[in-house]
Amino acid sequence: MHWHRRSLIVAVVLLVSAVAAIAAYGATARSAGTVNITFMEAMASGTQKPALELLTKRFEAQNPNIKVTLIAEPNYGVLQQKEQASIAAGNPPTIGQAYENWAAGYADAKAIIPISGYVNNKKIGVKPADQKAIWKGVWKDLFLPDGKIWMWPFNKSDYVMYYNADKLAKAGLQVPKTWVQFATVAKALTKNGNWAWSTDTGTLAAPADGTIVLMAMIHAFGGDWIKDGKPTLNTKAAIKALGYLADLKKSGALQIGTNYPGETALGAGRSAFDLSTIAGYPYELSADGGKFSMKVAALPSGRNGQGNAMAGTNIVIFSKSSNAQRAAAWQYMKFLSEPRQTAYWAEETGYLPVTQKALPIMKRYIKTHPYQQIAAQSLQVARGNPPYAWWTTAEGQLATALQAVLDNGGNPSHALATAQQKAMAAANG
Amino acid sequence: MSTAEGALGGVRAGSRRRASAGGIRSGRYAFLFLSPALLIFAVFTIGPAIFVLYISLFDWNLLNTAMSKFVGLQNYRQIGSSHDFWHSIVTSVYFVGCVVAGSTIFGLGIALLLSSRGIVRRIVRLAVLTPYFTPLVATSIVWVWIFNPQFGLLDSVLRMLHVPEVGWLQSTTWAMPAVIVYTLWHDLGFTVIIFLAGLATVSTDLREAARVDGARYRNEIRDVVLPQLTQTIVFVVIITTIDSLQAFTQIYTMTQGGPLGATTTTGFLLYQESFVFYHTGFGAAIAVVLFVVIALFTLLQLRVSRREA
Repeated sequence: MHWHRRSLIVAVVLLVSAVAAIAAYGATARSAGTVNITFMEAMASGTQKPALELLTKRFEAQNPNIKVTLIAEPNYGVLQQKEQASIAAGNPPTIGQAYENWAAGYADAKAIIPISGYVNNKKIGVKPADQKAIWKGVWKDLFLPDGKIWMWPFNKSDYVMYYNADKLAKAGLQVPKTWVQFATVAKALTKNGNWAWSTDTGTLAAPADGTIVLMAMIHAFGGDWIKDGKPTLNTKAAIKALGYLADLKKSGALQIGTNYPGETALGAGRSAFDLSTIAGYPYELSADGGKFSMKVAALPSGRNGQGNAMAGTNIVIFSKSSNAQRAAAWQYMKFLSEPRQTAYWAEETGYLPVTQKALPIMKRYIKTHPYQQIAAQSLQVARGNPPYAWWTTAEGQLATALQAVLDNGGNPSHALATAQQKAMAAANG
Repeated sequence: MSTAEGALGGVRAGSRRRASAGGIRSGRYAFLFLSPALLIFAVFTIGPAIFVLYISLFDWNLLNTAMSKFVGLQNYRQIGSSHDFWHSIVTSVYFVGCVVAGSTIFGLGIALLLSSRGIVRRIVRLAVLTPYFTPLVATSIVWVWIFNPQFGLLDSVLRMLHVPEVGWLQSTTWAMPAVIVYTLWHDLGFTVIIFLAGLATVSTDLREAARVDGARYRNEIRDVVLPQLTQTIVFVVIITTIDSLQAFTQIYTMTQGGPLGATTTTGFLLYQESFVFYHTGFGAAIAVVLFVVIALFTLLQLRVSRREA
């Protein structure tokens, strides 16, 4: 029976090991009362990383039973790929940054959970007054078409007009407040090898700043990119906006490039404007290098007032998390959006506070950085990406239309008709 | 049979058994030593290739595979009627044709120049070979700046020469030539190495004899060197075709397939469909088609190698 006893010992050892392994696995979610959550994010550059780490440490100090592990990815492209891969592998983080159309795709695949229950909970939720204090555009952005809240705001920004104040003053020109004025000023500044503004049109697979500014202009000209859950890329307003940009390009006032061309040209003193996200302020300042006085104004307005596009992401909770992790994650997400924390985040990174209640806390900062208030006020009108998975295709088609007109001299009406046809095909599945 | 013959036969039989036993043992040892590599190959190459074939038969949901729907050959039928796919084929033929022709002609030309002696040769050889060992992403980004229409080196030179600037990566006409120039710059070192090795096997006696008979340099190359290099040339053509069919990194970094699909090769299209637009099943079908094309070229290369051996 020698072999029988040996086999029995081996079996017992294996069983104990298995139990220990299961216990250890359970311990990763909860050990000695601590709840571990992971946050996959793309806040890895400049002041973003240390700011998020400090906020996280503050949260952990206030909530010693919760441990937050930050998983930083270098940019949004890699972040999306890593989130997709982790979902496909059945091992997503607890929470992650996500654009609206990403969230729509994740929700369709049942990879994330709605958080209306947490937001409206009487004990741990957000009070109605605090919900109202969140910027209108930001608040609307949290919902998917089913009417539930699926996301919570984190690093929001919108578009502003950076300009070389010295250049404008030297030319005796005023800061343009409307798109009509912008065209006049832009053409006046285009001479002696200089021009007004550089932008990146983006491509089908990777829309860029130029695409977003076009979207803001469509809104300013009285149009929209979506209606009743379907794309509307070839409205009269869209054709007018694209024709406007084609005219600027033809006059030489608008140049096209890649790799942040607006920032490069403005910093080199070759252009006068860059229309980009407020979150890029530290990078614009760095490109300028103190060579001239760089200021910030709101995007010009059209007949429909100011149009603006919201950039930045929200946070979603992935469905593979345990109840304890979800509750802990909600506490962390809510903490980040509270006035004191969102004010700190805005001051450190150039992103915008997600709630109006942060502005009084930022009074001193806004005195020396008035652009923050300009950009924050624009959040009232800024529109986020439509919360549909097909928007990725539609936005890519808009970038293609922009390329067709600005790079290839195509007709705006024809280019947008093609874009609309392909976007509609994607929307109809 | 004599005792000696019987003994010899016994010895021979014994030797055959020992040789056979030794063969079996060395076969087992060979398998043992090969198995880690085979395992890695099976897990990271064969397995995924079979899985891609499987995915291509589904309307695959990347994020929730349980929601995937079996559609049979529908993805392949969609390839047949897809304008984007056939456009990518034309783009791929353009890219592959230029890269293969450029690699072969310039590679051979540079190798012929480098086959002479001298310190200058060593410096030039280093300059030609070094790009091949540089990372694709980093050097692609550098070339994006070289091609920048406002601040890049190339357009600065054109402006100095009072020649109209070119949009390069923003131009549907010039974006692909720009990517081809970068690809040739990066990969020429490899073909030069192959051709240098090939030139080392060319008979110097024949070349000398041709010179003694009064043949000019270009006749010597055409009538003596090139015929002896035929197998090497065929090898280079096939290998660079296989490599350029799989090119992705430089297109992703430099143009993202644009502008207006001007640089969307089949390799880039399958990435776009699978990972940007979530048409994973369709992307997998494109991958299978690309795999078949590359496999055919690989078989052709094996055939040529066997004939050479």
